[in-house]
Amino acid sequence: MKNTFRQSGCKIILVALLANLHIMTFAQDVRILPAVSRSYAITQVTVFQGPGRKVDGGTILIKDGLITAVGKGLTIPPDATIIKGDSLYVYAGFIDGLSRIGVTKQKEEVPKEKAKDPGNPSNEQAGTTPYIDVRNLLNPIDKPIEEFRALGFTVAQVVPYGGMMAGSGAIVRLDGNAADKMVIKPKSAFYAEFANAERVYPNTILGIMAKWKELYKQASLTKSYSSVYASNRSGIESPTTDRVLESFYPVIDKQEPVLFKGEKNLDIQRILSLKSQLGFNVQVAEIKEGWDLITKLNAAGSKVFLSLELPEEKKPNAKTDKEKEKDDLLIVPDSVELKALQKRTDDFTAKYVGQAAAFNKANVPFGFSGLSVKSKDVIPNLRRMIKAGLSEDAALAALTINAAQALGLSDRLGTLDAGKVANIVISHKPYFDEKAKVKYVFIDGKIFETGPPVVDKSDKDKKSEKP
Amino acid sequence: MNSIRIFTAILLAVACLQVKAQSPKGKKGTFALTNASIQTVTKGVIQQGTVIIADGKITAVGTGITIPSGAEVIDCAGKWIYPGMIDGGTNLGMSEVGSDPRTRDFNEIGDVIPQLKALSVVNPNSVLIPVARVSGVTTVLAAPEGDLIPGTAALINLHGYTPDQMFAGFEGIVLIFPNTGRKGFFDRRTPEEVKKGVEKTVQKLNETWDLAVQYHKLDSATKSPAYYPEMQALLPVIRGERTLLVEANTSKDILAALKWIKDKKVKKVLLTGVAEGWRVAADIAKANIPVITGPVLAVPTRDYDRYDKAYANAGLMKKAGVTVAIRSNATEHVRNLPYNAAFAAAYGLGKEDALKAVTIVPAQLFGVADKLGSIEVGKSATLFVSDGDPFETKTNILNVFIDGWEIPMVTRQTELYKEFLKREPGLTK
Amino acid sequence: MKTILKISISAFMLIVVSIHSNAQLETGSLLIKGGTVLTVTKGTLESTDVLVRDGKIAQIGKNITAPAGVKVIEAAGKFVMPGIIDAHSHAALSAINEATSPVTAEVWTGDVLDPFAISIYHALGGGVTTIHAMHGSANAIGGECETIKLRYGTKDADALRMEGAPRTIKFALGENPTRVHGGGNNIVPRTRMGVEFVIREAFSKAKEYGAAWDKYNIAKTQKNFRGAPPTYSKRLETLSEILKGNIIIHCHSYRADEIYMLLKVCEEFGVKRLVFQHVNEGFKVAPELAKYGAMASVFADWWAYKFEVYYSTAYNAAILTKNGVVTSINSDDAELMRHLYHEAGKTQKYGALTDDEALSLITLNPAKQLGIDSRVGSLEVGKEGDIAIFSAHPLSIYAIPMITIVDGIVRFDREKDPDDERIYVDPKEPLDAAFYESDKSYIDNCMKDAEETFYSLFELN
Repeated sequence: MKNTFRQSGCKIILVALLANLHIMTFAQDVRILPAVSRSYAITQVTVFQGPGRKVDGGTILIKDGLITAVGKGLTIPPDATIIKGDSLYVYAGFIDGLSRIGVTKQKEEVPKEKAKDPGNPSNEQAGTTPYIDVRNLLNPIDKPIEEFRALGFTVAQVVPYGGMMAGSGAIVRLDGNAADKMVIKPKSAFYAEFANAERVYPNTILGIMAKWKELYKQASLTKSYSSVYASNRSGIESPTTDRVLESFYPVIDKQEPVLFKGEKNLDIQRILSLKSQLGFNVQVAEIKEGWDLITKLNAAGSKVFLSLELPEEKKPNAKTDKEKEKDDLLIVPDSVELKALQKRTDDFTAKYVGQAAAFNKANVPFGFSGLSVKSKDVIPNLRRMIKAGLSEDAALAALTINAAQALGLSDRLGTLDAGKVANIVISHKPYFDEKAKVKYVFIDGKIFETGPPVVDKSDKDKKSEKP
Repeated sequence: MNSIRIFTAILLAVACLQVKAQSPKGKKGTFALTNASIQTVTKGVIQQGTVIIADGKITAVGTGITIPSGAEVIDCAGKWIYPGMIDGGTNLGMSEVGSDPRTRDFNEIGDVIPQLKALSVVNPNSVLIPVARVSGVTTVLAAPEGDLIPGTAALINLHGYTPDQMFAGFEGIVLIFPNTGRKGFFDRRTPEEVKKGVEKTVQKLNETWDLAVQYHKLDSATKSPAYYPEMQALLPVIRGERTLLVEANTSKDILAALKWIKDKKVKKVLLTGVAEGWRVAADIAKANIPVITGPVLAVPTRDYDRYDKAYANAGLMKKAGVTVAIRSNATEHVRNLPYNAAFAAAYGLGKEDALKAVTIVPAQLFGVADKLGSIEVGKSATLFVSDGDPFETKTNILNVFIDGWEIPMVTRQTELYKEFLKREPGLTK
Repeated sequence: MKTILKISISAFMLIVVSIHSNAQLETGSLLIKGGTVLTVTKGTLESTDVLVRDGKIAQIGKNITAPAGVKVIEAAGKFVMPGIIDAHSHAALSAINEATSPVTAEVWTGDVLDPFAISIYHALGGGVTTIHAMHGSANAIGGECETIKLRYGTKDADALRMEGAPRTIKFALGENPTRVHGGGNNIVPRTRMGVEFVIREAFSKAKEYGAAWDKYNIAKTQKNFRGAPPTYSKRLETLSEILKGNIIIHCHSYRADEIYMLLKVCEEFGVKRLVFQHVNEGFKVAPELAKYGAMASVFADWWAYKFEVYYSTAYNAAILTKNGVVTSINSDDAELMRHLYHEAGKTQKYGALTDDEALSLITLNPAKQLGIDSRVGSLEVGKEGDIAIFSAHPLSIYAIPMITIVDGIVRFDREKDPDDERIYVDPKEPLDAAFYESDKSYIDNCMKDAEETFYSLFELN
């Protein structure tokens, strides 16, 4: 059947068939007509205003990008477009704490030929480019924006590609608008990771740690001398200006946090060590191996974003006999030893999956970050975390209000309350249910009908690869 | 007797004078090593015994032995006599300064080059050789390294001025079995890449073997096939006349090698390396293929393995019924062969089997047990005298004989000691 | 009076500890009964007990009764010695060489400790309790190093530090820095002359730097001072601390000429605290080393792996010792580290050292070289409870380390420990992946990272 469709090229028929079942279609194929007004009423829905705050059969009113009211028995304004949601479930828009969706990769700066003096590379080669502003690199039509929006993500903190200090991040809406209009909060954080430079200094974690300490101290000294100079310029030499050092000033003043990628246990330990030595405010994001550092992270006052990426689940050996035969030459016998090892591996996989529950149990608030997760894995991974003991409320909090709080935006984002920005996720089943699909997403009061969940799409792609 | 001693003393004095100008020479003659505890290896320990060396051979072993006239008597009261130790795998003689490729002659370009011969490149004058032999290691396998079939290894005695004078009667072709293990910290291949690489190499190996089998048929039929050095070198292996030394270390590779050996019906074969042999010891025992394992002084091949697995490996294999010889797999560290054996002994192999693993067992595996590996009449006089158990760290080796030649106990290292223990001038000139 | 002094010292120590790390030091108490105790400094004591309380050796003697709650280890027939100290190791580090510049004094291995490294446990299995976790030898002046205790089991990198141990820094002479920088990048040094110049230049600049900051710091105290501070450089700051005597130099070196060169440079710049590492030709300048008070940390018998160690001798440690140089035997290698007791034993074969002399090479002497000999390196009351228990005399090749204790806590127990000692397991790592070094590596372990960077990329050889 499928093949017939493809071969005959009956795309129109297919679209028509699907249109009968769903309003949605392939977003890129259909021109969305502008709404008549910026007023919406979502009625007869189950509203999760925030974690633990459920309203059955409620209504949400939206006007000019803001939520104007949430509750039962509300009067619906005449200009409102009504979305009837008998069996719909409504959540605050999700927030991704660290991402590169919608960010253009700069040109590869690493030259093929070796550096003349690897000890003194340019800032670009060294990866010390904190002066780069991710706002200059935003691409509103980046495909992953659409994918993550279809999962319910409405806002993300995005950062530039690059080295150990790639540049400043920004908090953006995932509304596919013009670059500048995406930005909610510019210079939201000074982004850093333990990324070594290729063939030049800092080529290892040794150099990265030293560079951090040196630049920070240099910046502190330059900053204070600059203010001396600014107060009275006569009789003393003018301070040097340096884009790198100046980028540290808001960090030193604690106006801008350092957003540090810290996947592994040791990464996090090193981040906290730098924090305690230098004193900056920190957000640790993309945490994968943090279960032993919950207390430490909390004591350090760090904001926490846990990775949505998880190690793959152990799959039952589904190899065909033919494949097995091919492997025979290389396989280790199924031994007691192997089983013991498999158990240790499984135990650790469980720790990764149970990390979010462990943070929650310790009452340490956290958000999520999607830097390394494939969009198709987001919902399955959330479900795995829930299965491992994370309450749905806690998962929702992490996706919404906790992330908003960590980013200092909880006055505007994170819950469905009157006065907040209308970032809303509407799902046709409770979000964490096995077969839930996001139907609509509102960002700043603008409605998006989402395409089929990415997981289905990729499955389809896979199947279509076979002859 | 007395006059002989005086004469010897004069000779020695002359020899000492010559030391200034050149290294002392070995000495051949008739020797009587008396009053010794003799570790024959094959026939127990003889107390207060005598070993007579004449014409390069052991001519008598035991108690109450008449000392031939003219024999130089070495009183070994309180001393021990052992057969020279045999290192079943080294690069000794083939490499001088490890980091300098100009002094490395064990790794030629090419993946199937069995015709290249280690014996041709053994440097009899390597400074490393005396250092090895004064520790009691008298015989080593000098083996090429590299890709799939890097050449032909040779067993050499560590005395002589030409490779032929050193040759100890065994040559074998090295096969580095396709390796699924990581080569070092720099090896960052993904598991898939490793697997692909192995599959490719296995294919090359099978193609090579098939060619050799075909060549053998052709050769048997026509007796004069065209010049094909690789195949000519492999011919004796196909015919079971020459040993194939199959290097395999991870358990997967060992099993794969065993299967391959069985499939190809390889007749004369040894496993070498065998770092994870303990993991598949029963399979090795069942296949009845002896191993030359080492280095013993190594860290486990996997992070989750018990910390002492490399030390225990030889003992665990032996316990499973595998015939085990031990190698150092070293070049300048061949002198530490006894310590490799001793660690294996301490961690389960036992002293007796550890001693055999560096004497009679490798001699048997290399087909030279008629000459080497034990103190027996008729064997080559390749042995040493020590002041104790040669595995013990502080034991001194006092005399070494190779093919009946008394070896000078002098190396560059001992000469530097003599010169610098009390340097002159000291602080002021 | 004494008590007051002690209290103030321990109060001071507490402050130091709190500055260095937030980690709470975990200590234990135990009684080791009836072993042959090799004190190293105070002879061999037969059938003697050692009591450790709260991480410190409290009593050594006969028939000590265990205080309530203190665990007893039966050691009759066994040998009890101070925990072995390795003055040259690269274990427990995530990176070893920042090989991109001939001088990288600003980096510090203490920043990159890895408490999960299985090599820590392996070393405990060889009776080792303290190691000097060093920067590599790619640079003429490498990074600062960290002295750590093998408290395997902790997940806290800070908990590995030996609190209060003096600062040390790695230098390197000869082939490695010249090969990496001159050979690899065509920048000075390409020769041993260049190495000398690089070090002299670094010291000279550090001297100027130190003076500039001293001047600034004095000026700053004056009223209405508004001047600019000198440009901060972590590199020069570290170097100036060397000149002030606050950091011990540990210099990778092989040849007699380069060893002598550094002696002269240090003499000129007034640097007293100097330990030569490897120092294969140290025996040739032993009188000069002894006179200067420079120490030597050597291999027992490594040689010929590169040209600059071709003229070596296994008698090096004995010659140095007999010429009055404080000498230790180190590993620089994850495997060798596991049998340093055997390596020390080799000095009895090569140079006939006594038992105590040989044992000092891996206990008290490395402790002196790291400036921690008042705390570890021998079994004496008041010293830290770092102890190794062997099945036989540790200088016998058949001796097997049975139990290794750090701060009174058993960190290795041959009979009780499970096989799989990994603290963290990476689920992404394939289960049956084996690591086998099939190619012999003809490179120093000190060159890790550097080799990787420069050799693979630039095809240097």
